[in-house]
Amino acid sequence: MSNPSEKTKSDDKDTELIRAINSGRQDLFYELVKRYEKSLYNFGLRMCDNPSDAEDMVQDTFLNVFKYLEGFRYETQFRNWLYRVATSACLKKKRRSKYAPDRELSLEAFLPEDESAVSVDLPRWASQPLEQVLDGELNGIIRQALLELPEKYRLVIVLRDVEGFTTQETSEILGLTPTNIKVRLHRARLFLREALKTYYETD
Amino acid sequence: MKPTDPHHSHENCLALFERLSEYIDRELDAPACKDIEAHIKACKPCQVCLDTLKKTVDFCKNLERHQVPETFSMKLKDTISELVRKKSD
Ligand SMILES: [Zn+2]
Repeated sequence: MSNPSEKTKSDDKDTELIRAINSGRQDLFYELVKRYEKSLYNFGLRMCDNPSDAEDMVQDTFLNVFKYLEGFRYETQFRNWLYRVATSACLKKKRRSKYAPDRELSLEAFLPEDESAVSVDLPRWASQPLEQVLDGELNGIIRQALLELPEKYRLVIVLRDVEGFTTQETSEILGLTPTNIKVRLHRARLFLREALKTYYETD
Repeated sequence: MKPTDPHHSHENCLALFERLSEYIDRELDAPACKDIEAHIKACKPCQVCLDTLKKTVDFCKNLERHQVPETFSMKLKDTISELVRKKSD
């Protein structure tokens, strides 16, 4: 996650660029694309089942940004607005995911059972340093588990934990209350943790 | 849950379980944090629960980032230039 002062700096740079574009320097629009294509593409990879859908999403997003940039309100942060546009591009696809049918995740499903069933030892995957465990295979496991999450949970965990938006920003991007964001985030994390547990325990 | 601690009940664990993410995200006030920390200290299963959840979040924060495929990047650039040309015509 970037620190606040870095964030402000990049906002200022975005605002400056957008003012220039909106005052007639449309040739500069590609600068904006370059600044964000990698982060949007990765967001797309987390949200969509396959890379070509991620590419479509990125393209649709920039086309919409181009179309609506004149109406951009300078008091909002461009990155937040960009992700709002990207999110609706994702949702518009409404392509039914082959992995994740729309459903509710209940907290109960993740509740620890009675004490005898709960492990008292920290599993190895959670006790080793991050660099030692987070390899290509684990990246794949997480990617797959994210795709198995119903979309409304996936969106929240990807925006919060992968992209690093705050609860407040995520609630603005998705048009949901902060409480709602927190509830979904917690369940999404528990779901992911179950997937990790299953992966390591059956190893 | 340590059988030696009479104040510990499964209910406490369940109540804590619901708030673990907020705790990890530092979204709870000081008294709530203190409660959780006191509980965790005395309750090994909840400690494991917290640590594994924290680790899960760390993994998400450190996922590998892919490069944009060259062919797509070129295509996008062309699409944008075309758009810009049309608009300035
Ligand atoms: Zn406990």
